Amino acid sequence: MDGLIIEQTKSTPKVVLDPQKAKLSIEGQSYPENAFKFYEPIFTWLDEYLDQLQQDVVLEIYFHMPYINTSSSKCMMMLFEKLEEAHEAGKKVTIRWYYDQENEIALECAEEFKEDLGLPFEIIPLNDEGINNGK
Amino acid sequence: MGDNFDNLIGLQKVLQNYGVLITFSGRFTQEVIEELGDAVKKYLETDATSLTDTYNVFSVFIEQTQNIKNYSVKKDSSSLGEQIANSGVVVIGKSNMGYFVSSGNLVATQDVKPLIDQLEEIKQQDKTGLRKMYKEQLKKELPEGSTTAGLGLIDMARKACQPLTYSIVQVDEKVHFFSLQVRV
Repeated sequence: MDGLIIEQTKSTPKVVLDPQKAKLSIEGQSYPENAFKFYEPIFTWLDEYLDQLQQDVVLEIYFHMPYINTSSSKCMMMLFEKLEEAHEAGKKVTIRWYYDQENEIALECAEEFKEDLGLPFEIIPLNDEGINNGK
Repeated sequence: MGDNFDNLIGLQKVLQNYGVLITFSGRFTQEVIEELGDAVKKYLETDATSLTDTYNVFSVFIEQTQNIKNYSVKKDSSSLGEQIANSGVVVIGKSNMGYFVSSGNLVATQDVKPLIDQLEEIKQQDKTGLRKMYKEQLKKELPEGSTTAGLGLIDMARKACQPLTYSIVQVDEKVHFFSLQVRV
């Protein structure tokens, strides 16, 4: 299966989907003109990937998104629903959500997503030097 | 003010009295929203507010302007399309009570009632109620082809330090002018 890389713009995050390493990362602000259109190819890729994901492989997902507008939040919710479904089907998915420690909004946002999910979801603060950035 | 376009002192004074830091009036495009959003963020970062305040103001600004833009797109094919698209205005300012983000645009008369209903429902909620409303809307299945999540106003109310305030003024039988103020 091919990977997918979407380069960052002012209003869209950098997205890297790497099937060889079983990694997905989304980094940057997200307030595109049309969030549904932006996230569509990521959903399609993920559906296909999760479908063929073997039980002994752990899909590791990293988020570092300082700002997400409401329509992007909706898309993130849709993404989490897909991951949760895979988790419930016995597939291994882990989420690490990084946030800059003074950014309370990013923390709250992560906490609200996390509280409805049963899959492993770690929220990790980053200080100015990016320490804890164990990527 | 009036017809004297070579003399903007009147306009400048109005803006200053209002506490305006940044404003834009006209057609909102994604590019305009991004550039102004950057300017807002840079301004707030140097104004020594917390990162949380900065992102609160920035996010209310983004939701307001994208709401106006999305509404214009929705009305694009109607006879009021041009008029609505050109009617947007946004103001970011500071008063002794803190920052505020206000925006205004024309709304077709038939869309006024649903807008008021939604705003009144939001205004009745405390922070816990808003959180619940937000979560419910977040999980709601959207109709095929949706371009918006219906979360913008709820999110603004959650980020605000006071209930949302708004006004609606009839312009003619076809359109009303809607103003929304959010204090952060």
